[in-house]
Amino acid sequence: MLGIETSCDETAAAVVDDGRQVRSSVVASQADLHARYGGVVPEVASRAHVELICDVIEQALVEAGSSLGELDAVAAVRGPGLAGALLVGVSAAKAISLASRLPYVGVHHHEAHLYAAMIEDPQLEPPLVTLVVSGGHTLLIAMEDHGRYRVLGETVDDAAGEAFDKVARFLGLGYPGGPEIDRLAREGDPEAIRFPRPMRAEGHDFSFSGLKTAVVQYVRAHPDTDVADVAASFQAAIVDVLVEKLLGAARETGIGTVVAGGGVAANSVLRERLLDLAVAGDVRVVLPSIALCTDNAAMVASVAAYRLAADGPTPLEAPVVPNLRLV
Amino acid sequence: MLLLGLDTATRRVGVVLANEQGMLGRVELGGTADTAPPRHAETLAPAIAWCCERCGVELTQLSAVAVGIGPGMFTGLRVGVTTAKVLAQSLRVPVIPIPSLDLLAYPLRYARRLVVATIDARRNELYWAIYLQVPGGVQRVSEYEIGTPDDLVAELEARGEDALLCGDGSLRFTDAFEPLGGRVELAGPAHASPSLSALAELARARYEREDFCAPSEVLPMYLRQSDAEIAWNRKGM
Ligand SMILES: [Zn+2]
Repeated sequence: MLGIETSCDETAAAVVDDGRQVRSSVVASQADLHARYGGVVPEVASRAHVELICDVIEQALVEAGSSLGELDAVAAVRGPGLAGALLVGVSAAKAISLASRLPYVGVHHHEAHLYAAMIEDPQLEPPLVTLVVSGGHTLLIAMEDHGRYRVLGETVDDAAGEAFDKVARFLGLGYPGGPEIDRLAREGDPEAIRFPRPMRAEGHDFSFSGLKTAVVQYVRAHPDTDVADVAASFQAAIVDVLVEKLLGAARETGIGTVVAGGGVAANSVLRERLLDLAVAGDVRVVLPSIALCTDNAAMVASVAAYRLAADGPTPLEAPVVPNLRLV
Repeated sequence: MLLLGLDTATRRVGVVLANEQGMLGRVELGGTADTAPPRHAETLAPAIAWCCERCGVELTQLSAVAVGIGPGMFTGLRVGVTTAKVLAQSLRVPVIPIPSLDLLAYPLRYARRLVVATIDARRNELYWAIYLQVPGGVQRVSEYEIGTPDDLVAELEARGEDALLCGDGSLRFTDAFEPLGGRVELAGPAHASPSLSALAELARARYEREDFCAPSEVLPMYLRQSDAEIAWNRKGM
């Protein structure tokens, strides 16, 4: 399976065998292009995808040591994501489908994030509780079986990664904000400032805009405060909420395995906390490598293998759906 | 020789197949009437498949893929250009990129006056280029431009010659050209979209001259920066 991902600001292609074995995974990040704007600019992202798509696909095939003739199918993310960006990957996949007479499979971006864990642990099978956290999404999903999902909770305002970006920008750090805060937080005290843990007890939904406001208010009131302490304390608050919500969902559903995906799942403190949970024996934790957490096409090829087996090919008439829902 | 041509610079999705003798067939979907949102991403791939099937050819027989690179509707261009370059790369054949404004002007090569090709650019602007007749075709005598209808009127006043306007840009702003009186004529709906027979003819000539590109080099002609870039440049940084 050849997978293609262009839903946001990474142009990616990968070749995966049998849904689990990665033969190649190429990601061309556009982060540098968007850095000066402090966030992803859809038109800039869409243009960059058109420039990069041929080389990224070619490199994925070369690294896999395979030709189009050896493929069984070609897949692309058809939503959710930026409309102008999505249609580059989808048009590319449809073109390969036409040229090589291969089935086309259009997949869901969040579902693909769930399958990163399947690649990390090839024996892994549902049921699972998954936390998908990135600049675009914050979701808690119960995966009961392949293709059977329940969205337990999602953010009511900012995505977790968006909160990282906004706080980083406010603190005068670079973009993307997640890695910047993660780095700076290592020099700070996570208990220096007690930021609120928003909606910690209520349901499975998330809300991060209040936390962002609390950080802004605190720094305005204490201009001499150590920025590293702010970063560490803000990060501790977000991680607390994410971990607690994930555990709560596992308890409520009775599902014993939890997995994480998305760019924020690359955060070092979140990863440590999740691994601590596993050591404590509360739940089984499958944490994909950082390269599989951030947007990539291996996860796209992985989920596409299951979707193709279960549902057959996607018609070439199928549109891109920027607000595609999982269930 | 077998050529596939695509143009998606306007609301119209166009697919054409041609060999050295001429056009084998073509598909045109959507047009100037904007009753529904354009659906380039949905219609282009099925239209290519249908056109090949009806013409009895296989994509593996292609010698090159020609594509109208705009200027025009950004989403349409991205679908058309991406499809053309990835198809060509998959089939190991070159791409022949041709400005869509040239495809509007070429069919009017018998008109004995300036030909002004226009494409709607939204935001009360249009893309245009100006052409003169030369033996066997037209020659562009301006840059590929973007501006308001008034900018184009001023340009035509300065040139002071009779002109024939074509393309969906001129049809959208018919009133704007009234000040030019009888010196300017509008070519009408038959010349609203980049011509697929022009695409086939121009691509064939380019192919014979081996005037083509590697697929990864081909990009849409945008002419307009993204809003973010415009704002950034205004900050003077
Ligand atoms: Zn993602």
